[in-house]
Amino acid sequence: MFKKTIAWTLFILAVLPCLAFSSSYLLFLEAQGIAGYSTAVKKAIFFSMSQMEAMQKPSLGFDYVQRFSGASGDFAVLAVQARLAVNADGDKTLEPQLYNAYLKIKTRSVDIWIGHNRPKFGLVSSLDTHAQLLQPLSMNGLGFDRDWGVGVEGDYAEGNAGISLTTGSGMPLYFKGNFFLSGRYSRGILNQDNYNVGISVGYGRILDVAGYHLMSETPMEFAGAGLDFSWLKNNLEHRVEFMAGTLDDQGVFAIFWRTGIGLLEEGRLKLEAQPVIVFARKKTQTQLSVGASYLATPDWTLRAMVQYDRDMKDVRFVIQAYFYKGIRF
Amino acid sequence: MISLAVSPLFPAVGCDLNDPDRDVRRLFPESTGYKTIYVSVAQKGGQELLRKIEERLGDKFKGLYETADVPYTMYQIFKGKELIGYIHGVNQKGQFGGIQVFLALDLQGNIRAFYFQRLTNQYAKLLRDPSFGRQFVGLNLKDFSNYDVVAGQVKGESRVAAIKNPAPEAESDFRAALRATKKNLILCDEFLIQRSRNGEKN
Repeated sequence: MFKKTIAWTLFILAVLPCLAFSSSYLLFLEAQGIAGYSTAVKKAIFFSMSQMEAMQKPSLGFDYVQRFSGASGDFAVLAVQARLAVNADGDKTLEPQLYNAYLKIKTRSVDIWIGHNRPKFGLVSSLDTHAQLLQPLSMNGLGFDRDWGVGVEGDYAEGNAGISLTTGSGMPLYFKGNFFLSGRYSRGILNQDNYNVGISVGYGRILDVAGYHLMSETPMEFAGAGLDFSWLKNNLEHRVEFMAGTLDDQGVFAIFWRTGIGLLEEGRLKLEAQPVIVFARKKTQTQLSVGASYLATPDWTLRAMVQYDRDMKDVRFVIQAYFYKGIRF
Repeated sequence: MISLAVSPLFPAVGCDLNDPDRDVRRLFPESTGYKTIYVSVAQKGGQELLRKIEERLGDKFKGLYETADVPYTMYQIFKGKELIGYIHGVNQKGQFGGIQVFLALDLQGNIRAFYFQRLTNQYAKLLRDPSFGRQFVGLNLKDFSNYDVVAGQVKGESRVAAIKNPAPEAESDFRAALRATKKNLILCDEFLIQRSRNGEKN
């Protein structure tokens, strides 16, 4: 609670004076409704993955980016992205969620960030999944969607490279001897070259967390490497990721593949399929998901997903109505 | 006192440089920094400005990428404290989803570089070849004033007529690129160049 209070206080102190920079900020409001059905529990669900995970759940949120500049250009960026989500299963509760909460300092050669951001590990470090139903390997326990710490990264002519040192606790902030050191080197600029290949390595003592829930007080030793590949051609997209290593002295291996096709004018409709296999802690998790995303208007996106989880013996159907729009003061 | 009156909302389908540090260095090797500013037609002039832009473009704004409240990301490029140019990109409907066309301009609005940030057409290689972009160097809004974006034709004399399409199979993306370029030049003229001449700040 104390840490959340600090985070929210910092945000408010940062935002209020920044509103005076009339052209150098973006502020978006976000709202989403989530509903579905799970054959395993035989009832309606109001989340896309699990009640414990941070996303996706019904929520209201905002996305704020503030640029700071001097006489010779930009020197820093502040990014804050947060939601107030509803846990609708059982006793209904509200859950404040903090995604981006970082300050990035720009130098001539690299950017340095501090706060809550994407650690440099895996495909998730370059993929914006904040609104999506289909999620990458970080939501299967390999890597983190967001983590607390510091990072350095830079763009060079053929790609990007970066390292980060974070707490290995994900959404919440804990200090129990946990840490996560990771780095990713990539070649190819996806939008310009239509491909990107990335190599990631990571080592640490990471906590077993699901959203804001700490599953165990004892950090687990993790050492792993990943190879990811993204490719665009015409209206087709492919993203593949392999990960291997050890977690808690046991082997871990994962394969992720997402393929998608854009249809209709302006690519408004996207159909995707995503098989995932994760072998960890002597168990194999196999998931096959198919999803559809339709950009009804510039502000409204409708999504649907059907996910088969072989180990949970579950087929779930999930729909999402997502609103995202900017405001100016 | 900061006014908290809320202005019109804007959608999220904007266009900014994926990697501004690299791209600014590449397009303006002499630069030392850049400033990012966000503007929208709704913010800077509303429906009246939108009508003026549509008239200059010769076509209506339509679709996901062309609304009055799309946020445009514009980059002012500096060498020390001296402003030396601009970079701006626009989204445009292409053959396969959207394309993104970026222009690097000098302070007078002349094109010093043209490139596609996003173009997934399998004939993209031919349109992305530097020789295609070089055809745009030195052109400006006056050259595009005679280009009819609806008919895809130049009416009268214009250096735009000399721009050749190296990929006939990607004709629709070629015409989309020309429309995007004209739109980009008009927006830069309205948001940056005219204001700079008038001594206004963004």
